[in-house]
Amino acid sequence: MNDPVKTDAHVLVWDVPTRIFHWTVVVLVAVSWFSADNGFMRVHLWSGLTLLALLLFRLLWGLFGSTTSRFINFLHPPNKVMAYLRWRDGALYAGHNPAGGWMVALMIAVLLAQALTGLFSNDGLKFTGPLALWVSDDVSTRITGLHGTIYNIILALIWLHVVAVGFYLLVRNHNLVGAMFTGKKHPRHVPAGLNLNFTRLYIALLLLALTAGIVAWVFFQGVP
Amino acid sequence: MADFGPGRMSAPAYLACVALLTVLGLGVAMWAHPAFLHSTLQSIGLEAVPRAAPGSFYAVRVAPLFESRCAGCHGETREKGQLRLDSFAAVMRGGADGAVIVPGDTKASELFRRISLPPTDDKAMPPSGKTPLTADEVTVIKLWIAAGASGEVREIKGAPKPVMEVTIPQSDPATVQRRRAPLAAAVKDLQALFPGLIAYEARDSADLEVDASLKGARFSDANLAALSPLAAHIVRADLSGTAIADASAPMLATMTSMRLLRLANTKITDKTMEALAGHKALKSLSVVDTGVSDAALEPLKARGVAVYGGSHE
Repeated sequence: MNDPVKTDAHVLVWDVPTRIFHWTVVVLVAVSWFSADNGFMRVHLWSGLTLLALLLFRLLWGLFGSTTSRFINFLHPPNKVMAYLRWRDGALYAGHNPAGGWMVALMIAVLLAQALTGLFSNDGLKFTGPLALWVSDDVSTRITGLHGTIYNIILALIWLHVVAVGFYLLVRNHNLVGAMFTGKKHPRHVPAGLNLNFTRLYIALLLLALTAGIVAWVFFQGVP
Repeated sequence: MADFGPGRMSAPAYLACVALLTVLGLGVAMWAHPAFLHSTLQSIGLEAVPRAAPGSFYAVRVAPLFESRCAGCHGETREKGQLRLDSFAAVMRGGADGAVIVPGDTKASELFRRISLPPTDDKAMPPSGKTPLTADEVTVIKLWIAAGASGEVREIKGAPKPVMEVTIPQSDPATVQRRRAPLAAAVKDLQALFPGLIAYEARDSADLEVDASLKGARFSDANLAALSPLAAHIVRADLSGTAIADASAPMLATMTSMRLLRLANTKITDKTMEALAGHKALKSLSVVDTGVSDAALEPLKARGVAVYGGSHE
C-alpha cells in the first residue's frame, strides 16, 4: 500500500486533452440525445461525427498520451479489479482505479459502437447516416435498431458512472468530479513518490487533427 | 480501497438513496412515456396484454394495413417515436408521446390525424417519399377508431370492401417441360394431323384442350379415336356440331380428366351419358340439341355438374 503524500499542494494527474475529452463527450452525448429526440438530425449528425473523432482520438491518446490516460496504466487484470471491488486493495491510484478503468474502457467501446452504428443508420424519413447507402435498406434498418438499443445501454452506463462518482464523493470523501475539471487531486488521494509524464499538447492536437481527418474522409465517402 | 476518512454518508445509506433515485427516475420515465409504463406493467404481468380476436375487424382489415404500410418504421426492427404498430397491444399502447388511438374519437387520435394530413405536410404519415394510404384505407382505420378501436368487433357498417390481392405464382419452364415430356411426341404428331385443334390448356400446364367445333361435320368418331394417346390428359373438349355419335362413348369414357365437355348439336344419346358416369372431374357439360334425356342427366346434376341442354322426352 502506498502512503498518501503528506502535503497540501494538489497534484496534477489529468492532462488537459483528457479533461477536455471527458467534458466534451458529456456535452456531445447530451446534444446527441436532445437532437435525436427532437428531430434535429443535422445537429445529431455533426454531434455524432464529432463524438466519433473524439473517441478515435481517445483511443490514440490511450496509447500515446500522458501516464494517467494510457490504457496500459489503468486496465488492470480481473483479480486486481475484484480485489478492489471487495475493498481489499488499499493502493492509491493517481488516475483511474481498477474498476473505473474498465468502466472508462466500456464507456468508450459502447460510445464508439453508437457512433459507428449511427453512420449506417436512417430514420426512415428524410435522414440517413453518411454511410447508410453502403448497405442495404434492410441492414441499415437493423443497424438503426441496434443504434436504439445501444442508446439504452449508454443511459445505464451513464447512471452507473454517476452513481460511482457520487459514491466516491459522498461515501469515500474523494471528489473525482472536481479533479476532472482542475486536473488536480488532493495529495492524500495519490500515491507517494508519484512520477507522471505528460505528453505535450501539440501531440494531442496532431492526433486530434488526424482522427478528425479520418472522420471527415469517412463522411465524404458516403456523399454521393 | 484506500481510506480517505469518513464521508458524508455511509455506504448503505448511499446505496439506499441510489435505489430510491433509480426507482424515482424510472417512475418519471414511465410518467413521461406512458408506452414504457404499459409495456413494463404488461411484461411483468401487472396489466393484461390487449389482444385482438382472430377474425375481428382489426385482425382482418386494420392489422394488415398497419403491417404493410406502417410496421417498416413502427415495428420490431425500427420503432420511430417509440411507436410500434405490429400488434394490437402495441397499437393501443402508443408511442413516446402517449396513446395514438383514442377509442371512439378519431379527432383525438394522433394516428388518424397523421394519416389524414396532406402528403406535403411534414407530419403526414406515411412520410413523403412513401405511398400515402388510399382513401379506402384511411376510411377503414377511421371507422375502426370511431367504432371503439375494438379487438373484438367483427363487422363495421360502411367499411369499404377489402381489396383482394392475388399472387400469381411464376411458372418454372423446366418443370413444365418435364411434365409435358411423356406426351410431347404424341401432341406434336396429332397437332400436325389436326392443325389448330389441340393445344395445352395454359403456358404452365401439361393438360390439353381440344376444339373440334370449327371442323364441324368433318370431325368424326374415327377422328376422336385418333386422340386416344392423349385421352387421359384432355381436360376441356368442344365437340359441338361435329359428326360424333354414341360410337365415341368408349373413347369419351377414357377421358377421365375432363372438366368441361361440349357435345351440343351432335348425335349422342343417353348411352354416351352412361360413359361419363365415372368422370369425377367433370364440372360443365353441354348437350343442347342432342338426343340426351333429362333422366340420363340426373346423376350428373346430382353430382353438381353444370349441365346445359337435355330433352324432355
